[in-house]
Amino acid sequence: MTRVLVPVAVLEGATVSSGLMTLLGTVDVTVLGYHVLPEQTPPDQARLQYEERATSALEDLVEEFRSAGGAADHRLVFTHDREQTVNRVADEVDARAYAISGVTGDVDRLLVSLSGDVAVDRVLAFVVEVIGDREVGVTLLLAGTADGAADRLDAAAERLREAGLSVETRLEREGSTFDALMNAVPDHDAVVMGESAPSLRSLVFGEEADRVASASVGPVLVVRADEPTDGDAG
Amino acid sequence: MSSEPSGTNIEGEAPDAGPVVETDEATITEDAELERTLGLTGGLAIGIGTMIGAGIFVFPGLAGAEVGTAATVSFAVGGLIALLVALPTSELATAMPKSGGGYYFVSRGLGTLAGTVIGLSLWLGLVFATAFYLVGLGFYALDALAEVGVTVGANPGLVVSVIAVLAGAGFTALNVTGTENAAKLQNGIVALLLSMLVVFLAFGMLDSLGIVDAGTPPGEARNVWSVVPVMSVAALVFTSYLGFAQVATVAGEMRNPGRNLPLAMVGSVLVVTVLYVLTIFVATSVFTQDGLATAGETAMVAVGRELLGLPGALVIVVGGLLATMSSANASILSTSRAIYGVSKDALLPRWASRINLRYGTPHVALGLAGGPVIVLAATRQVQLLAEVASFLHLVMYGLMCVALVAIRRDRPDWYDPEFRVPGGPVVPVAGALASFGLIAFMDPTSIAIGVAVVVVTAGWYFYYARDVKLRGAL
Repeated sequence: MTRVLVPVAVLEGATVSSGLMTLLGTVDVTVLGYHVLPEQTPPDQARLQYEERATSALEDLVEEFRSAGGAADHRLVFTHDREQTVNRVADEVDARAYAISGVTGDVDRLLVSLSGDVAVDRVLAFVVEVIGDREVGVTLLLAGTADGAADRLDAAAERLREAGLSVETRLEREGSTFDALMNAVPDHDAVVMGESAPSLRSLVFGEEADRVASASVGPVLVVRADEPTDGDAG
Repeated sequence: MSSEPSGTNIEGEAPDAGPVVETDEATITEDAELERTLGLTGGLAIGIGTMIGAGIFVFPGLAGAEVGTAATVSFAVGGLIALLVALPTSELATAMPKSGGGYYFVSRGLGTLAGTVIGLSLWLGLVFATAFYLVGLGFYALDALAEVGVTVGANPGLVVSVIAVLAGAGFTALNVTGTENAAKLQNGIVALLLSMLVVFLAFGMLDSLGIVDAGTPPGEARNVWSVVPVMSVAALVFTSYLGFAQVATVAGEMRNPGRNLPLAMVGSVLVVTVLYVLTIFVATSVFTQDGLATAGETAMVAVGRELLGLPGALVIVVGGLLATMSSANASILSTSRAIYGVSKDALLPRWASRINLRYGTPHVALGLAGGPVIVLAATRQVQLLAEVASFLHLVMYGLMCVALVAIRRDRPDWYDPEFRVPGGPVVPVAGALASFGLIAFMDPTSIAIGVAVVVVTAGWYFYYARDVKLRGAL
């Protein structure tokens, strides 16, 4: 069964929108409750004080996920580095994707970005699995000027249609991939994108998925790259 | 561990201890995981960043004034003792990679009384060390003011005190309100300092050996090559080597601790020992004993001026400010971790390790570190503060070595270190003897204050936590 990791800043009142819970009803979910501490605080010191509070909040969340349909469990991590924690736990539970929980109501239409150097096969397979036999429309977005972009987009759309999904395509030839994605966001309830390799750009501006999540407000599902990313930097 | 800590203190609080699994990437407790986020670079930066301040920027003047070039031997002896302790500490830390460092090892190896004495003395030892770094910072700030042409009137000593107190309050406040990326800043400062020092020392060495002539006076220090003075200087300057054990206090946060902890501890001792010996050699080549004595705490500024003129003096002033700041800041952080360690084991009230919700920082522990630091910094007693800090750390170092021997002898089944000190019990026994032995060469006043601290902390154990049992499966 496909597993999705849902990281939640559990002690900061963060929660998971009901729309995302319903959307993930078709897959297994691991709720990753995390709390990021400043460097001067040992993680264990925070555990001593907050473990009970955090665990009880996580148990409530897991219960909600279960009543939305899927199997769910939870992990609680105290850390100095959110990204390292998400990567480690995603590797450990063998998660196909992780979610950045935004605000949304019921999800009727997904925006799936195929721009950039992402594993298109994995993204499409994940979309098929998440939607299952529900009535959720898909918009495939490809931004770029490369030759054959239209063909790639059509091939991808064909694959989803064969799986019984209702698909629209959108090809953006101008502007940055990020702007193209943002322009398309308003008609959709959630975004699915592939994990891109770390680049200079992501060092400067932060992880692309996080930028998309904060700019779009809604939830973002990031399909992880095939190879587990090595969190051994610094 | 097969035998858990038990018992309660007089407020009825029990040590917090659940089953714990250590992996290279995280510590896994019953319901939660603690991410290990610190790499080897971070560990080295903590060790070097804490140590690099005093030995290079405060002690050369004081030590050189006592024994001249023979102070190189004093520093080498200090480095050797630090190494003899760093190896056993590495073994203990890879077997018990948890926050708390030396306190944790002593309390698990030798029981609650020794643990309480060491835990509380470590807190106070770090308080003395921090105050010492802050006074050093005050002297450098005074020199910095002089370089930019500000004269401070008739009572420069008072100005040093005021600066030290303000800096102490500042660092405490900074740590309570959250210093985002403090560790990265610390890494940057350490890298900058190291590169400045390498260039400076390379030039100084060329000059001392007569290969380059910077026109320095043909200083021939009257060198005192005899055991007792050299050893008493070693006891004084040992404060320069306190940083390596601070690496063990973040053992719970270090990735792959079996490899990174020994490398960071031993590596940082080796790096700073080489730098210290070279620095003192350059300083005592450039100046005579009398010259160093007159220049006092900031003698290195005068050395820099002799070697490279005004730029040389400025490099040392800036370096001294950065290094003493980095040492003081790192020590305040270690102090709050030491308090957390004893409070978690119910040897201090649990509220001492509370974290505030707004900033997520341990404000009580930081206050318990910063408050006494400020009081002590105001005294401006460089040598006394340094020696008391050394005394309290040396007691801990000696007992850590003893704890290692005790644990190895009893072979509890939880003890499975990834790094083992080679040569059987030779190194830890030598480390214990050297640590306790060095204390004998200290000033009687410092010894008296140190002994008083130990007696008071032992009294606290009998009053507060007599029923707590911390020993491992021994």
